[in-house]
Amino acid sequence: MNGERFPVEPKVAEKSVLIKNMIRDLNPDGLQEDFEIPTPNVRANVMNKVLEWCTHHKDTAFSEDDDDDARRASPVDEWDKNFLKVDQEMLYEIITAANYLNIRPLLDSGCKVVAEMIRNKSPVELRRVFNIVNDFTPEEELALKKENEWAEDR
Amino acid sequence: MSSPTSIDDEPSAMQPAPVVLEKCSSREDNFPHLKSSSNPRSGSGVRFIKKFMDDADGSDDYTELKHSLITKRRLSDGHRSKIQQLNYEKSRLLNLPTEVLLQIFHYLDRKDLYALLTVCREFADLIIEILWFRPNMQNDHSFKYIKEIMELPREKTHWDYRLFIKRLNLSFMTKLVDDHLLSLFTGCPKLERLTLVNCNKLTYKPITQVLQNCERLQSIDLTGVADVRDEIIDTLAANCKRLQGLYAPGCGKVSESSIINLIRSCPMLKRLKFNNSEKITDETILAMHENCKSLVEIDLHNCPNVTNKHLRSVFSSLLQLREFRISNAAGITDQLLELLPDEYCLEKLRIVDITGCNAITDKLVEKLVICAPRLRNVVLSKCMQITDASLRALSQLGRSLHYVHLGHCASITDFGVASLVRSCHRIQYIDLACCSQLTDWTLVELANLPRLRRIGLVKCNLISDTGIMELVRRRGEQDCLERIHLSYCTNLSLGPIQVLLNNCPKLTHLSLTGIHAFLRREITQYCRDPPADFSEQQKNQFCVFSGNGVNQLRQHLNMVLTDGHFNVQHGNDMNAVQDRRRRFMNGQNVMAAAAAAAAIMGNDRQGVLPDEMMEEDNDTATTNNNDTTTNMDTVESTNGNGSGIANGDRNLRNFMRQRFRLMAAPEMQQNPEMAAINREIFRELNQGNMNPNEMREHFNRLLQAQQGILEQQTDTAGQAQAQGAAPQLGMMQIQPNQQPDTPVNMTGFQEYAQQFNFMRRMALRQDNVPNGGGQRDEEGGLRITQRGSNLHPRGTDLQPNTPQIDQPAVFPNQNAAPNVDLNELDSGDEDAEMEPTLLFPPIQ
Repeated sequence: MNGERFPVEPKVAEKSVLIKNMIRDLNPDGLQEDFEIPTPNVRANVMNKVLEWCTHHKDTAFSEDDDDDARRASPVDEWDKNFLKVDQEMLYEIITAANYLNIRPLLDSGCKVVAEMIRNKSPVELRRVFNIVNDFTPEEELALKKENEWAEDR
Repeated sequence: MSSPTSIDDEPSAMQPAPVVLEKCSSREDNFPHLKSSSNPRSGSGVRFIKKFMDDADGSDDYTELKHSLITKRRLSDGHRSKIQQLNYEKSRLLNLPTEVLLQIFHYLDRKDLYALLTVCREFADLIIEILWFRPNMQNDHSFKYIKEIMELPREKTHWDYRLFIKRLNLSFMTKLVDDHLLSLFTGCPKLERLTLVNCNKLTYKPITQVLQNCERLQSIDLTGVADVRDEIIDTLAANCKRLQGLYAPGCGKVSESSIINLIRSCPMLKRLKFNNSEKITDETILAMHENCKSLVEIDLHNCPNVTNKHLRSVFSSLLQLREFRISNAAGITDQLLELLPDEYCLEKLRIVDITGCNAITDKLVEKLVICAPRLRNVVLSKCMQITDASLRALSQLGRSLHYVHLGHCASITDFGVASLVRSCHRIQYIDLACCSQLTDWTLVELANLPRLRRIGLVKCNLISDTGIMELVRRRGEQDCLERIHLSYCTNLSLGPIQVLLNNCPKLTHLSLTGIHAFLRREITQYCRDPPADFSEQQKNQFCVFSGNGVNQLRQHLNMVLTDGHFNVQHGNDMNAVQDRRRRFMNGQNVMAAAAAAAAIMGNDRQGVLPDEMMEEDNDTATTNNNDTTTNMDTVESTNGNGSGIANGDRNLRNFMRQRFRLMAAPEMQQNPEMAAINREIFRELNQGNMNPNEMREHFNRLLQAQQGILEQQTDTAGQAQAQGAAPQLGMMQIQPNQQPDTPVNMTGFQEYAQQFNFMRRMALRQDNVPNGGGQRDEEGGLRITQRGSNLHPRGTDLQPNTPQIDQPAVFPNQNAAPNVDLNELDSGDEDAEMEPTLLFPPIQ
């Protein structure tokens, strides 16, 4: 978008399944020479962050486990947790980029961090944290609360 | 074969608990917090659902919800109110793609979703469907609230929640489920799964109402619903064309025409369970064969009128079948699989349960194993014609076999169990209830199963304390066993059970019904209540420990029986038995095998195998042991009564101490001469340079020599004891004098004496008469009363078949395989144990 280029080794870039597939599709005989991949949906500073993550994890073997329960239970990697200590804006952009570039471990970590921000908060707190205004009428809000009270899991 | 009804206190002994062996993909739920808990009351409901998920072609239908939510949100993009639009622009969180938001929700608990629900409309629209996808009816609180909401007129609620419900499971709070409650859920057009397990108050009416227009219904579980009628089945047939699973075990009232109509209307059926119906006949099976090409499970338990006729075709056409169950159907015979070729064709078949089909024989089992070599669960209980040949066939399943139930297959013997267990080392569940020929050897074999979690040996009354001790010793500490059924194994006593308890920390169930040694108030106080419908006599016999009762029993026994004396040494010593076996099996020629058998024969006279002699025939221990014996007998012969409780416990301790000295003292010093003798025996055996007769003579010579040594040593030991050097012994000798004052009640002490005598009889057993040793017992008693002056007890023991308390349990089925003339050994019959390939006669 900004025309910036990020030279990276294939190993790093291939953390993104999107890019990995692209490399494979464009170079069926194996990578012979440098080439460019446009990533129009990702801003340069976000791309920087994402590549930082990819570089750090270039030798990490992530489980290909499709087991949602297992993924849900596993805690966020310590390094990732620190890495994602950024402002909300950046966090969502990283998540969106990870989603677009198909970097599942990064997406998982990002979503878990957001989930952590949501956990154990009241609706009022949630609105404040996420900059949302109440768009229900008082009657609606009351009905909604009452009719779903069972989900409170007391 | 009749069995006392009281055995029924052991449901798992009689009917195998269903086990879900396939690893259930947890993709079922992208939202695990919505998942049914592992509440035990969920019963088969949860399993049922999971099973269906397995079948769902890899696409879990939460994915479907996810996609529909994504679409819904995209469509609503242009229709935001001003304030919503403002939120959407201001909050970056709301700007995340829907699939990302859904993934974030995935990591949240239900209560957090509830908080998000009332944050803003954007979230509410997404979350409301997730929450109501499967309303939580698992606890009083939420059950009550959901009921209240459902009782409101649907136009009075903010949303019509019935439109969101896809899974409805009412089997958690069955006491609260009545016709009124279920009828509240009438009109859930998207309902896919309805689970009503054990909702026994329900009548057919609300069920038919709910099913109206449920054209997406995939499965319905009516297990435990009493009022299953034609109306329900007809409604299913008329409305739910996409039905894949129907569990209706209580369908005895349903006419066959309704069932056939249903089968014809629902071609997607995969799982069918119709139990306890006399109305189901071959016509139903024919309809299945013709209409349901994707069946993976057929359960026809207790449908006596079903025969081979069309089931044969079902088996030959439905090669994807995974589970098949039938019971009490006389028309199931060896021809069941006759249309199948003799090859691996039932690739998916994992569970076969053919209970109480007495027409089947080993032939069917042999064929089954060929056609379905990946079977995991095999239930052949109450198939009386099953013999060891079936077990040999099943052994070909190897590591596939995890679960095997052979209760009431009374023909099977230790040999069969041995061949099964040695090949199928992944068995986790084995039930051999009422296989009354099994002996301690079975326990020795079972000790080799590393994953074993459940053992059922109800009414295997040849099993003795020795077997239990062997089991524990070989299995080691921290055993993974969870459930052990030993009811009516009448020879068991406290000590070994204590050892068992102490080595099986995961034990949650131990049944000891009908075992005299345990039917005492101080023990039965920890057992659970007998079923209400038991007769007084059955209640008196009842002795089942579960849950915390197991811990209490363990604590009690540890308190009563002294510590330290029953510890089993889990060493390599007992592996020697297997080593020996291995060595024999590796023997190069038949002569070696024969010689081995000869050695066994000769050795049997002492009841001790060479290895055991080497390791256990420590002079002092043996002598002590014998002294105990004699004193026990004295007590019993002098006075039929036991001692008081207090004395009983003390005596019991002493007795146990003596009793298990052999096993409990692994540090016993080796007798170098014996070791040398044993080495020689083994060398001869292994080289096979002797014919059986020579072997026998040689062996006798060695034994004589051994006796000589023993006598000398006994002498010394005996003198030491005569001087009162052995305190326990002193106690024992005093015992008879106390007799007159003590109550007449049976005490532990006397029970042990009886147990002990039984053991001796077992050891003496050389013919087919179980009580053949009775006479000898009296002799023993006489001999023993003179014992005070006779310091050479081993002298008399030179007779053949001397009682040996700790006779190793490696002679299976002495009854079934009586001692054979040594000259016949060349026929290869008796060396069976050593030579598995010759173990069994060729299959007729």
